[in-house]
Amino acid sequence: MKKKLVSMLLCTTMVVSLLVGCGSKTEEAAPAEEAATEEAAPAEEAATEEAAPAEEAAAGLAYAGELSIMHFSTSEESEGNGGSDGFRTMIAEWKSANPGVTLNETVLANDEYKTQIATLAAAGDLPDVFLLQGMNTKAWAEQGIVLDMTDIIAKSPYAADYKQNFFTPFTDDAGKVYALPALTGGTCTVVVYDKQMWKDAGYDTFPTKWEDVVAAKEKFAADGIDTIAFGNGGKWQANSCLMSTVGNLYTGTDWFTSIIGKGGAKFTDEAFVNSLKFAQDAFASGVFNADFNAITNEDAREYYIAGDAAAFIGGNWDVSYIMATLLEADETKYNNIGFATFPNPADATAATNLQNIGMGFGIAINPKVAEDPDKLAAAVDLAYKLTGADFSNYVAENYALSGVTAVADVDLSGFDQITQDFYNYSYVDTTPCEIYDSYVNSAVWDVFNTGLQNMLNGDMDPETLAADTQAAYEANY
Amino acid sequence: MIGTRPAFVKILYSLEEAAYYMLRSIKPKGRTILLYLCIPVVWYVFSVFIPLITAMFYSLFEWKGGPQKSFIGIENYISLIKDFSFWEAFSHNIYLVILCIIGQIGVAFVFVLMINSRLVKLKGIHRTFGFFPSTVSAVSVGFIWMMIYDYKRGILNWILEITGHADQTKVWLNEPGLVMSLVSIPLVWQFIGYYMVILLSAISSVDSEIFEVAELDGASAFQRAIYIVLPLIKNTLLVCVTLCVAGNMKAFDHIYTMTEGGPGTSSMVMAMYGYKVSFAQMNMGYGSAISVGIFILSLIVIGGMQKALNSLMKGKGVE
Amino acid sequence: MADVKMTKVKSVKTPAEKIKVGLLSGFLNLMLILFSASCIFPLVWMFYSSLKVKRVFNADIIGLPKEPTISNYVRIITNPDYHIGGSMLNSVRTTALSLFFIVLFGFIVGYILARIKFKGNRILYVLFLMGMLIPVHSLLVPIYVVFNTTGLGNKWFTLIIPYVAFGLPIAVFLVEGFIKAIPVELEEAAAIDGSSFTRTLFSIIFPVARPILVTIAIIQTFSCWNEFSFALVLIKDSALQTVPLAMTMFKGQFASDYPKIMSAMLTTMAPIVVLYFVFSKQIIKGMVAGAVKG
Repeated sequence: MKKKLVSMLLCTTMVVSLLVGCGSKTEEAAPAEEAATEEAAPAEEAATEEAAPAEEAAAGLAYAGELSIMHFSTSEESEGNGGSDGFRTMIAEWKSANPGVTLNETVLANDEYKTQIATLAAAGDLPDVFLLQGMNTKAWAEQGIVLDMTDIIAKSPYAADYKQNFFTPFTDDAGKVYALPALTGGTCTVVVYDKQMWKDAGYDTFPTKWEDVVAAKEKFAADGIDTIAFGNGGKWQANSCLMSTVGNLYTGTDWFTSIIGKGGAKFTDEAFVNSLKFAQDAFASGVFNADFNAITNEDAREYYIAGDAAAFIGGNWDVSYIMATLLEADETKYNNIGFATFPNPADATAATNLQNIGMGFGIAINPKVAEDPDKLAAAVDLAYKLTGADFSNYVAENYALSGVTAVADVDLSGFDQITQDFYNYSYVDTTPCEIYDSYVNSAVWDVFNTGLQNMLNGDMDPETLAADTQAAYEANY
Repeated sequence: MIGTRPAFVKILYSLEEAAYYMLRSIKPKGRTILLYLCIPVVWYVFSVFIPLITAMFYSLFEWKGGPQKSFIGIENYISLIKDFSFWEAFSHNIYLVILCIIGQIGVAFVFVLMINSRLVKLKGIHRTFGFFPSTVSAVSVGFIWMMIYDYKRGILNWILEITGHADQTKVWLNEPGLVMSLVSIPLVWQFIGYYMVILLSAISSVDSEIFEVAELDGASAFQRAIYIVLPLIKNTLLVCVTLCVAGNMKAFDHIYTMTEGGPGTSSMVMAMYGYKVSFAQMNMGYGSAISVGIFILSLIVIGGMQKALNSLMKGKGVE
Repeated sequence: MADVKMTKVKSVKTPAEKIKVGLLSGFLNLMLILFSASCIFPLVWMFYSSLKVKRVFNADIIGLPKEPTISNYVRIITNPDYHIGGSMLNSVRTTALSLFFIVLFGFIVGYILARIKFKGNRILYVLFLMGMLIPVHSLLVPIYVVFNTTGLGNKWFTLIIPYVAFGLPIAVFLVEGFIKAIPVELEEAAAIDGSSFTRTLFSIIFPVARPILVTIAIIQTFSCWNEFSFALVLIKDSALQTVPLAMTMFKGQFASDYPKIMSAMLTTMAPIVVLYFVFSKQIIKGMVAGAVKG
């Protein structure tokens, strides 16, 4: 017995020491391997592309050493998501163009990224370069943990081509800008509908009036089909992908500008409360799928894809998913995709043909980087690269999407009709308005989103929600 | 906090004293004991208590995440006492604790007795399979049950439909009155096996002859359970209850996966509320106060629970 | 011996009693079989569902796949971003080392708390009790700050520190409860024989406590293996990520492909579950240590 025990202990110790040994070895080996595989791919790509204008600015980066970046463009996400793909491609190009800089990437999926970055911000230990969410701008700027990039942006080689309105979420009250809007600008509220199904129901295009949608419900319901699929299980969807547009239809776009600038507008203003009332009625009317509060947008779009719903409301990320899936699975249904703005409710007269569009995240720099001017130059160069003409060209050519830098003469002729339709919906045919939760701050939206879920269930009245939100707004913003 | 400790220790003293076996014949040197204890205790205190004390420090500040904090004394705690959302979440935790004590430990105890009965076949399989859910991560369990509760494709609604109860189908996780029970079921289910394993190993120290002798005496299964098995594994059972309360006072992952506390705050539990305040609302100071609050409330609940259980067992003539 | 007794018991039963026993036995077996089936079915379901493509799964979530595909697994294994080999190794190392220390420390501390009378015994007990009450999710920031300022963050051994610390309370409790149920004569006899404390501890008590130690090892294996929050906050370097963290990247920001998620979950679980089933017999044997005669 004793012997057995001793040998057991010995074995354990051996295994343990073995594992420790292995551990330290892999630690060294793994990054080298990764670097090797990652370098191979971009080298080819860089060769095929012409010398990019960014290279001029990059010529002779004095900095040699480490630079850390944190982002959420995982390789899985970059498949089918133009913005992520572009972002990854630009990083790879930048790496091969600047072999002197060791770029330490931390890549996490979006949810995990948000938790991690909040922890790092709280601990005052942000990476050198990271993605700043619009609604955190003011709070983090006040804390002094993001670098004022106003001059950097003004001196950018692409300064003349920047679309200025994308910068507003990253601007504080004094007009200082803290980030370069990253990834692609896309709509957050779009009605995707099946032209054939609506034609069969007697509508040539998607109705522009909400009453007509409600009327159409009867026809679809008879076939056991939901009129519009929507998913609010994550609580943010009803805010970003519905209220941001519906609210603006009721209040007009000035109201939210006043909210952002603390210009006197209130969440308890009648027009906004009316928009909440409308939303509550709309979800009570049976137009939407019954489980809208229990499923996410990802499940809801599957209802559309499967033909269980005649339309779907979501953002550009949903559209790219729906298009990619249908193109592969059902080409007829793919060709029947139509895009429409949210139909006007009868009592919403402040605006029409609205959709909220913007860029939620921007490249920001840790102020500590500025202590070393050479390092700052490297970080700035990376920021230019990730948001500049190279990026915009890449996503325009490959995905018919657009970044913060305008590209002249986007040639859409190479894309099919549906892709062109979506481009025109996003950037040409509609009136843009702001995405609510790119502004103000998370403390306010957390209260609003949680209450909104209750309200849409009919368990809270719009006035209470408006009052709660206003209270959170006054306390936190 | 510090004020509550002596009283708490007293409770534990009175609770343990009766059953306290201490070594009297060998008295190892104090130095030996110290040597054995120092590494584990230092290790433990460093990673458990230093963060807790840090959180207590943070909780005295208005802190929105970042280098700037402003000292506000106990103001966060005053808000916490008045915070309806927090107490609502607390009541959900208590509900969860009660369900889980009955559902996990109660059921596990019955199953262990059943497995020990010689009428049952396939004992090995039950032991192995029963523990299996405990090996799965909380996120996976939440995900599996989401699929069960799903409105259109879910297994629960499917069963209702094929058994002719189509009118009973619901968007299960969107029912404010039901959602707490529904999110508790996966938790209960997952950890039955966990407590089964603990109780099995505790019973293994009970001489199996006792079972058989009792049977010869004609003791019914129920009597056997209450009067023979229960007292013998009382210590372990108390540990199980403590584990169960502690685990459920800080429950998070399952519910976060299934509902994120929704609809509204209908399934919000304390740890999730603290997490939301800290990360979604970036209110780190108040979030720290919430975690300290969770800690203190859990201490009180566990202290009360142990006291109650002890007097209950004494009332039953056990010990 | 048990068999002899069983026949004895049976022989005194009347026919009516026999029927009663039969019914009872049927009921007990049915209950347990249903429970065991409910425990294992999700694994089976997840496995065959992970072989479906998303479209097929969404149309019918319960049916068997008609054209099974392993494409999801191929993607996980071949994509260097998931560095599946490296993260598996990280997980194995972290879990094994954590387990070793939890069992060792848990045994020592639990024993001392159960048997040795000294000032502060109960205070130490309460101290360990408190460890179970720490709400980890809302303490992530302080934990990060502590690890970062002490320079212990983002190292190969980083995760072992909190895993051992947060695993200890349960271990200490279980050992303490178990030891108290063991008659004290065992150690007293050893003491009379002149056995030192250390020898008594490891060569006399350790084998007796084996069932509970095996139990602790099993319970903690899975909580260490599946742990996510610490891994997320304390590890920055992707080469140091554990499997649960690496697998979160497999779901994109806005993608929800259930078969894909299931394949990631199963990949995370696979090594540990296979180990569990392969060694289940030995594990159970160790756990019940010959006391319960089946």
